[in-house]
Amino acid sequence: METRKTLLKIVGLMQTVIGGLSIVFAFLAFYNIFSIQTMLGTTVVDIGFYLWVFVIAGILSTISGLFLIYEQSRVGNHD
Amino acid sequence: MTKPQLKRELGLLRATMLGVGGAISAGGFATIGYAAGLAGYAIVPVVLVIGFISLLTMLSYAELGTALPLAGGEYTFSKVAFGGFVSFLTGWFEWLSNMFYAALSAMGFAYAIAYLYPQVNIPFIAVLVVIIFAFVNLKGVKETGTAEAVITIIVLVILGVFVLGGWSYAQGTQVSHPPFPVGIIGIFTAASFLFDLYLGGEAVAASQAEIKNPGRNIPRAIVISGILLIALYTSVIAIAVGVVPPAVLMEQTSPIAFVAEQAMGPVGGILVTIGLAIAGLAATNEAIMAQSRVLYAMGRDGYLPKMLCKIHRHFSTPYIAVVVCAVFTALFTATGLVNFVVYAVNLGFIIGFSIVNLSLIKLRKTAPHLDRPFKVPLYPFMPLAGLATCAFLVFFIEPSVIILGLELSIVAVLVYYIRMVGYHRIRIALGGVSLGLGVFAAFAAYLLGTNSIVLPDVAPSVSTLIFGFLIFISIVEVLGGLLNIMASDK
Repeated sequence: METRKTLLKIVGLMQTVIGGLSIVFAFLAFYNIFSIQTMLGTTVVDIGFYLWVFVIAGILSTISGLFLIYEQSRVGNHD
Repeated sequence: MTKPQLKRELGLLRATMLGVGGAISAGGFATIGYAAGLAGYAIVPVVLVIGFISLLTMLSYAELGTALPLAGGEYTFSKVAFGGFVSFLTGWFEWLSNMFYAALSAMGFAYAIAYLYPQVNIPFIAVLVVIIFAFVNLKGVKETGTAEAVITIIVLVILGVFVLGGWSYAQGTQVSHPPFPVGIIGIFTAASFLFDLYLGGEAVAASQAEIKNPGRNIPRAIVISGILLIALYTSVIAIAVGVVPPAVLMEQTSPIAFVAEQAMGPVGGILVTIGLAIAGLAATNEAIMAQSRVLYAMGRDGYLPKMLCKIHRHFSTPYIAVVVCAVFTALFTATGLVNFVVYAVNLGFIIGFSIVNLSLIKLRKTAPHLDRPFKVPLYPFMPLAGLATCAFLVFFIEPSVIILGLELSIVAVLVYYIRMVGYHRIRIALGGVSLGLGVFAAFAAYLLGTNSIVLPDVAPSVSTLIFGFLIFISIVEVLGGLLNIMASDK
């Protein structure tokens, strides 16, 4: 049970962080901060689409991670 | 022990000032120059006409606000009329629109301050304003309503001085111009751009639960504030284009202050700037209050977490909702994206106005015996006219904002289903999504590793680092997906 709890906590945290980073990255790319658009070789027209994809993926990953963290706290309460 | 509730503390004057103060925004005055560039001298009839268009819907607000004695405004109306997802979507857009509006008003205040002190940091000042008014709203609605009334009266006096000073200056000049020098498209675009000028009356309906004698005071406050605003805006803009040509007005960051400076000298410019700064404060205050009441109502109905409808024992305010609103508004204000915010505000409120008119028509049919202290005259022509004009204006909003609206709708669908569908089914669905994300990240890593996709201007070592990060994301997402799918259904 303790191993599962730790796994839930670590994976949940990592998923949440990845989701957050994805959203931040989307905005950095959208506003071409650090010349990300040039590095990715993308056009201004496409960047709106990438923004949309990264934000949605980021939100979903964050929610999934938060569910795991919540599950971890529930496992703790049941014990 | 009785459960704390919102108190009815706002009389007719303070309710009217809530409507006027909510609409007189520094952000709104800052956008007049751009709109004058779009519509030319036709800006004066444009402002008059959109005033009457918004008044059509304000009458619907008055009828529904008195017939449905609950906080929440458009959201509550659509909940009773339609229920389910429509009411959730209405509340969602009402909250977002008010959040954008609060951000716009705070930025408007900061720009006005920057006119006097150009060295100030605009986003910092705007965020500071949001935080201060969040505290005012936390303390209590009586303080909020009183602050609103005092601020609005000061602004009205300053704008009155502007109108008189500008009128006196314009008497000495002979200006002849064609009434409609720009195309009809420009006029309609200006109308959709300036729609936010009259957004104030809905705040009266949203604060329904806190207004004394609502059956009498709500319709009066909404109609009086609407008429006051039409008179005010029309005279201010007529004076503005009478003193300064629209083409010159368009180039000004603070067009009304510029006009005041031309007509009354530097003192006039400073006076109007102070007025606009105060107007920015009033509108920020009203928008924070309105959005917190929407979250309160959505929490009360279970669409959002219940904690949002917790009332403070001492101040009788929905303190958690106020804090949540303040945090989102402050984050958005910090971006400083003014034009984007103007468009977002307009789209959100056009959607909200349309739903209010639809709710009124639906409830007249499905609940004919509902006690209605105030009834919209000339039914169904008035709400239908309000609906048609709102729908028409949508065609002249920037396409990028329409796309933003669709994206926000997708997020709304997600939030709605997370709240409404069973917990275990959501876990399985999210698990599936995480697995999909993991597979996608692995596929992207494969393409990068086999040089099927090449990142230009990226060193090979960085490319390897990205490859490793994608593999890491893939493992985490797959693990997360499996853990969610295998979660207990208890």
